[in-house]
Amino acid sequence: MIGFRPLGDEMGHLPEGNLVARWLLVSVMALGSGSGTHLLAQTLRVTDKDILPIVQRCTQCHGGDVQMGNLDLRTRASILQGGNSGAAVNPGHAEDSLLIKRVTGIVKPQMPMSPVPLLRPEEIAILKNWIDQGAPGTSEMGVVTSAAPAKPGIPADLAYPPANFPGYKERVIQDRDREWWAFKKPVRYATPAVSDARWAKNPIDAFIKKELDSKGLEPAPEADKRTLIRRVYLDLIGLLPPTQVVEAFVRDDAPDAYSKLVDKLLASPNYGERWGRFWLDVVRYADSSGFEYDRDIPNAWRYRDYVIKAFNEDKPFNQFIVEQIAGDELDNPTPDSLTATTFYRIGPRVRFREKQNPSNRYDYLDDMIRTTFQGFMGLSVNCARCHDHKFDPITRMDYYRSMAMMWGYVDYDQPLAPKAQVEEYEKVKSEVAQQTAPLRAEIARIEKPYREADLKRRQEEALRKYPEDIRIAVQTPPDKRTPGQKLLVTQLPLNFDDPDAADVVPVQVADNPNGYRQRTVKVSDADDVKRKDLQAKIKEIEKRMPPPLPMANGVRDGDYWLAPDDLGDNNLANNGRFSYDKKCCFVPALGSKYEVPELHFAANGADFEADKKTPEVQPGFLTVLVKGTPPPTSDMPSRPGYPTSGRRRALGEWIASADNPLTSRVIVNRIWGWHFGTAIVPTPGNFGKMGLPPSNPELLDWLSTEFVRQGWSVKKMQRLIMNSETYRMASSFYRADDVKKDPTNVYLWKFPLHRVEGEIVHDIMLYASGQLNTQFGGKPFFPSVPASVRLAQPRGIWQLTKEGPDTWRRGVYAYVQRGLRYPMFEVFDEPDLNITCERRDVSTVPTQALTLLNNDFMLIQSKFLAQRVLKEAGDDPAERIKQMYRITLSREPTRVELNLNLAFLQKQRAYALAHGSASGDAADLAAMTDFAQVILDSDEFIYIG
Amino acid sequence: MDRSKTSSSLSQTSSSTKRRYLSRRDFWMNAGMGIGGLGLIDLLNRDKLLGAELGQACTASADLNSPYAPKPPHFKPRAKAMISLFMCGGMSHIDTFQYKPALEKYNRMPMEGHGDIVVRQGNPGPLMKTPFSFKQYGQSGAWVSEIFPHISTIVDDLAFIHSAHGTSNDHTLSHLEWNTGNILVGYPSVGSWVTYGLGTVNQNLPAYVVLFDQRGGPYGGPQNWGSGYLPAAYQGTVFRSQGDPVLDLSPSSEYTNLDRERSRLDQLAKLNQEHAERYPGSSELSARIASYELAYRMQGCAPEAVDISSESDETKQLYGLNDPVTEPFGKQCLLARRLVERGVRFVQLISGAYVNTNVTAWDAHDSVDSNHRQHGKEVDKPITGLITDMKRRGLLDETVVMLHSEFGRMPISQRGIGRDHNPGAMTVFLCGAGIQGGQAIGTTDDVGLNAEEQPTSNHDIHASILYLMGIDHKKLTYYFNGRNMRLTDVAGELVPQITGTPKKA
Repeated sequence: MIGFRPLGDEMGHLPEGNLVARWLLVSVMALGSGSGTHLLAQTLRVTDKDILPIVQRCTQCHGGDVQMGNLDLRTRASILQGGNSGAAVNPGHAEDSLLIKRVTGIVKPQMPMSPVPLLRPEEIAILKNWIDQGAPGTSEMGVVTSAAPAKPGIPADLAYPPANFPGYKERVIQDRDREWWAFKKPVRYATPAVSDARWAKNPIDAFIKKELDSKGLEPAPEADKRTLIRRVYLDLIGLLPPTQVVEAFVRDDAPDAYSKLVDKLLASPNYGERWGRFWLDVVRYADSSGFEYDRDIPNAWRYRDYVIKAFNEDKPFNQFIVEQIAGDELDNPTPDSLTATTFYRIGPRVRFREKQNPSNRYDYLDDMIRTTFQGFMGLSVNCARCHDHKFDPITRMDYYRSMAMMWGYVDYDQPLAPKAQVEEYEKVKSEVAQQTAPLRAEIARIEKPYREADLKRRQEEALRKYPEDIRIAVQTPPDKRTPGQKLLVTQLPLNFDDPDAADVVPVQVADNPNGYRQRTVKVSDADDVKRKDLQAKIKEIEKRMPPPLPMANGVRDGDYWLAPDDLGDNNLANNGRFSYDKKCCFVPALGSKYEVPELHFAANGADFEADKKTPEVQPGFLTVLVKGTPPPTSDMPSRPGYPTSGRRRALGEWIASADNPLTSRVIVNRIWGWHFGTAIVPTPGNFGKMGLPPSNPELLDWLSTEFVRQGWSVKKMQRLIMNSETYRMASSFYRADDVKKDPTNVYLWKFPLHRVEGEIVHDIMLYASGQLNTQFGGKPFFPSVPASVRLAQPRGIWQLTKEGPDTWRRGVYAYVQRGLRYPMFEVFDEPDLNITCERRDVSTVPTQALTLLNNDFMLIQSKFLAQRVLKEAGDDPAERIKQMYRITLSREPTRVELNLNLAFLQKQRAYALAHGSASGDAADLAAMTDFAQVILDSDEFIYIG
Repeated sequence: MDRSKTSSSLSQTSSSTKRRYLSRRDFWMNAGMGIGGLGLIDLLNRDKLLGAELGQACTASADLNSPYAPKPPHFKPRAKAMISLFMCGGMSHIDTFQYKPALEKYNRMPMEGHGDIVVRQGNPGPLMKTPFSFKQYGQSGAWVSEIFPHISTIVDDLAFIHSAHGTSNDHTLSHLEWNTGNILVGYPSVGSWVTYGLGTVNQNLPAYVVLFDQRGGPYGGPQNWGSGYLPAAYQGTVFRSQGDPVLDLSPSSEYTNLDRERSRLDQLAKLNQEHAERYPGSSELSARIASYELAYRMQGCAPEAVDISSESDETKQLYGLNDPVTEPFGKQCLLARRLVERGVRFVQLISGAYVNTNVTAWDAHDSVDSNHRQHGKEVDKPITGLITDMKRRGLLDETVVMLHSEFGRMPISQRGIGRDHNPGAMTVFLCGAGIQGGQAIGTTDDVGLNAEEQPTSNHDIHASILYLMGIDHKKLTYYFNGRNMRLTDVAGELVPQITGTPKKA
């Protein structure tokens, strides 16, 4: 059951109440006008009591589903806007209002029309009074008025009243806006009848064949078994099929040999290593934060492993969504669900002087909105940051409503250990701190005179270097200084007026450029003995500390502006830091009531005071999608001791709802694209007007409903796809007529040949050479790059490594540093790491060729591959060539290829012997290494055929 | 094997590069591949190369089915190429090209009447006069401080925009603002847009080359020349200061050599051709085959492009190569000229490295005097040499050269003798591409805190650069994220004094 947790006590008066409805009411109060909420709250009661029952009779035809005469009487704004005949109401002038003229019959036709009964005179009087008073505060009418009978607490029509206040008039979302194909729920079309038996077995094939038939396209025959097994291996696990497995498969004539193969690979732990990586593209995964300092995100890899594990376990995709958006807000959070919220942490973040730059927070939310809505729902909600969306029916208020859904979150490291263990850890930690405190104080006491002397020396040194006017200013007694001199002295780094302060002033030091720590100070030998003794004692006490707890870099609800100071944050006067007068706390205390900090419309952090001048925003879903979507109900009990708003959970559950017309479509479309290279909607991140239409809409809808029917199982969807004839077609099929009619193979008359990604190029080379380090998960490794590459990015924790087994793990485990990308992945179109990836480009550039030709990694693996072939194939050159083909290409060479390669080996061998190879064996190895490299460089090796 | 020095009996002259191509042709022909086997490779072009002179061999165009294929501009361009001289760290406008007598008058007095003062670090200090002497130069009477004794001699060729301004006082964000148009990460760099829009006339070299300071990369590192949401093919290629100019240009000798590689390439072409025949009409596979050919050419042409041994002593001295202080940036400047000469579309040189920021970059928090004197000296002669050399070779007419930084610096002091970041104002200069020299465009207030007359944003300057290169900045778009994205987002007004277009009313 999808649901909300009640907000807390303040919800008590709405026992059956629905959170969305509650939000709407609050939002109406805040947004009805710019003039403050208390007044509106009063008029709201008046409206409720007196006006609404009357207007409700009108809105059956003028509002909601129907807006006859283009008239919408649900909100004050729309009443004033009127319809085809002009404004319905002239505030303050009832007799001059079309509404009154209509209901009294002065203007024909009289309203309401039959069968709705005409208004009684006293009702007309109420309306007149209301208009004469200026028609106050009825922008909320739409909330409770509806043509359809409303379930208690659940309004059937959830269209938010359009916001309208000075400076912003929200675009009114109309029913016609909801007509866009992607906003309508997917329809489970009947499987088309197909006469050809080959295409009638799997519904996917029927939909594809119907389209092919209608276009006059002839599909390719089934691919040969060697091609198939190589395709399935590369596709599902991103590795090559072992030679003996290929041979066994080729010999296996059982009808289910293929489907068993698919099942086996879906169950392989390597499956998640490949398919999890696709998801990491969507969530713009990186291990560092980018920007100036490109800081490490120390536990990002746990999220990476979570994703791999989720795919391996076939975690229902709707659960996968909710965990990432609100894993901490679940009833029973697990280490996995807490880790899932690292989703919020892996985006690009400045992580320096955040307190001085409040606009960062809004940029981070923008990143989250973009990633969440494009990633899960294929909607560019982020385009509505500064104005209503130019193409899609998404308003700027929708954008801020969406922001409010996430606004409470703060970065929060969650320990991944049982409660008792966490408590024990904290206990020991505080004991150790207590025991070492006096020892540290003693060290400080010993160091103090030295620190003072040291400071004095440095001050004198600095003064000597300063120009005369600064020396004079420093030496002038503080009360005698001119205003300019005062400014001058306070800004000098060595704190000339207050030597004591300098002892606690941290300094930035060369070996720790990202941080600050106290300067080390030299002391006399005798004191040094004492200091060392104390330090040893501290060390001894610290041995009691248990190993650090594993942590998730997750989130929870709190108050971002009250986050503890982090790097670069400081409280010096006049340093541009804004002041924030909110009382409470970074994260709410156990058992306390949590309130999401206020968020104002159009706020962007550039001017903190100006931001407060716009109305406060209440959370909500996208207006265009809430209509007709039953809202989640609020039967979710609050988890004791974890105060949170439940907003993110509501968002996650709304996104992951089967009623959401986009989510299931978006993910099945992505899955399809990851299998075939091109998705049914070729713009998987954009199902809006600027996206491309689906090439086979009926298939997309069918898949989407099937996906939900199968419990959001990604693996079941893949099994269905991969067992289709469509998937099993040959890629090398050529038919001139097909090429002419559909040159880019949009309708899939053959399997699309497509290149594997850089990570897989890397992995299959290691697999072929026999050097793949299969270590599963865990901390990332640093691929080997030349020092010149590291030089370009002096920040971040990237370590220079040498080629070796530690760096020969699968590409998905490579450290992903935003500011310094591994050239081999980058050159093969690694997507931008800062923005959710819609689909990877496939470009062909000479630098790719250079990488394959000359990169050390390549050359080293070529030699290993050569050694492997020599070992496995014996002395016969032809057999060696065959073995090379079996290992790398899963097939035997053709006669032409055999001859070409025999000649090549001979030539290279002769060259080696003529150029220093000491023995025939050495020459064989040199020649075979050259051959291995040719094969690893070849197109066939890095393409899924 | 040094590829540019392969000998061949077919060669009619001793020109090393010519021989390379002859031997290359020889090898293709001997391989028995014939025209069909060459895929998309343009044999005619190849034959033209045979008789070409050294420089031309690597300049020649090869129109391939590649992302870099030349594309027509929107209108007749005034510049074919661009050189960006980026002063990393924040070059002070009021200690270089903007003389502010008010700073002398009010030296060490609080800055008043300019609203709230936002500084990046520490407490705001009092106003501070420049430690440098200023003089007027040329017919235009442009003010230049003593740290640029050479640039001061060419001011009549330069158009100064004194009212450039940005939005962030953060180094990296401002780097991105000026190099990609947006203070956020993930946006394509100017060079990426230009190569995406125009392609390149020389496929033998990367279309977009970056030479960063030999001490290290700039703030934000490679994000400054990244392709953002444009295809990865359009990102800048770093030319390294030592060893092979391009990463993986040649194999490390520990493992193999170029002789063996040539033979491998031959074999690879044959096997790829066998494979491609199973996929008739696949332009992707044809492009891959061609890309190896291009890579091979680049292996010869990139080292040739950076080989300055053929430059005269006079030229080398012009760029300051005879002085260890000016030599590193001088070499970058000379390479920039050589690259542009060979058809490279966009070159960015970066002076200043994000290593020890107060020392290795223009980030004069600690001392304007020592910092700017040092960095000024490092670039003054090289930049002057570059512009002078380009001019006398006729290259400047069709190249736009721009000097800029991520922001200017504050008129108030920091730590007594330094200056903090100031996105409110900086000086940018442009020259070449027929831009009227000797102009002073826009002004700042009396102390140089903020742009005053004709405030000019990054978008305005980017729009103007694209204009000079024949591109309408409103029409150069790439579909991403649900809309057609632009370098200039939804902004950008041409700077009329730069583009010669009518002033906006």
